[in-house]
Amino acid sequence: MATVAIPAAKWNWVPPYPQARTANNLDADAQLVERCLAGQDAAWEDLVKLHTRRVYSICYRFTNSDAEAQDLTQDVFLRVFKNLKSFRSGEGLFVVWLTRLTRNLLIDHYRRTRMQRATESIEDQVKVLEETTAVLARTDGMLAGREASELLQTGLQKLSPELRETVILRDLEELEYREIAQVLNVPEGTVKSRLNRGRAELARVLRRHKVRI
Amino acid sequence: MTCAELEILLCDYVDGTLRAEQRSALEKHLAGCSSCAELAKDVAGVTAFIQTVAPAKPPAELLTRILHELPTGRPATEKRSWWKKLFGGWVQGILQPRYVMGMAMTVLSFSMIAKFAHIEPRQLRPSDLDPVKIWAGIDDRTHRMWDRGVKYYDNLRLVIEIQSRLKEWTDQEQAQAAEGAKQPVEGSKQKVESSGQKPEAGTSEKKR
Repeated sequence: MATVAIPAAKWNWVPPYPQARTANNLDADAQLVERCLAGQDAAWEDLVKLHTRRVYSICYRFTNSDAEAQDLTQDVFLRVFKNLKSFRSGEGLFVVWLTRLTRNLLIDHYRRTRMQRATESIEDQVKVLEETTAVLARTDGMLAGREASELLQTGLQKLSPELRETVILRDLEELEYREIAQVLNVPEGTVKSRLNRGRAELARVLRRHKVRI
Repeated sequence: MTCAELEILLCDYVDGTLRAEQRSALEKHLAGCSSCAELAKDVAGVTAFIQTVAPAKPPAELLTRILHELPTGRPATEKRSWWKKLFGGWVQGILQPRYVMGMAMTVLSFSMIAKFAHIEPRQLRPSDLDPVKIWAGIDDRTHRMWDRGVKYYDNLRLVIEIQSRLKEWTDQEQAQAAEGAKQPVEGSKQKVESSGQKPEAGTSEKKR
């Protein structure tokens, strides 16, 4: 009989997904959008300030490039500015609408840069090897947040776009399964299945980088 | 519980949102299935690992950049009046600089043709638009212009000077030719008189 190596205490943890989007937040988003649609410049500034971190984070985790993430974030908000009138607050959350818009832009970007990535893959492999060597010295202790972030980036790039975006939206952006299903336009069951596969694949990659999972 | 069922519930299990009976059934399956246990361990491990990851923070200048790039004022949400809805689309297209420039050039071309064909737009009658009449007008104007051009060319000072110089040269040549024709006649007279010296026939030609 196989034994589960995970400590029992781990299964009793508090869910890592706090209810970040409370009713107040939702109202604030809806009001902000209304003010933007009314043409208030200050509302646009508030909207950008409120959601830049989320959009940038998704873009950065997906592309693994600060410059590309910045450009894409800017493109996302320009697109929001042009298309905000197509958002209907009664049909869903603004966060979901914004994330879907970001995701569509990322997929376009991914397809556009496919050839470029193919030529750079050898350089990436060399870089990963160097990183692996550097991390070997830190296998015994808890990795620092920034180092963990870099390792996560390395691992995420090894995942397929479908698995990568699902892991990012759930584990990093803390969207609910229903919301992720709306963003990706797939059933919730598919979201959970992709999430399991993505996390398992990520675990394998991290283990190859000598991270204790 | 089967492995497929476990896979569906695994996310909720990791989140801690499973009901007690589902949770106990799942844990029972985990205890007996090594592959599912390994999957659960990986999933839970990665979730825990990601919690330690530092969030990706955008640089401060990004916000400024975005706000600077965003157009100010109302986006495309501005309520448009009914006439703007009806005509706004194509009027805006026409009012673009390239179209305005194109229309101006077209008007200019037509006005030049009209002037050339001797058509006065202010006193224009339907009969003036008869193609035969327009053609006759253009033909008449063309001939007049040609004649005017020829006359202008003829009156140019340089042309007059060249023509007068050419005329002088022609006159000189003719005079020389006339002199050359007279000399053999005089030579034959001298031959008769001085008994046999040949006349210098080549001298006139050499002079030429």
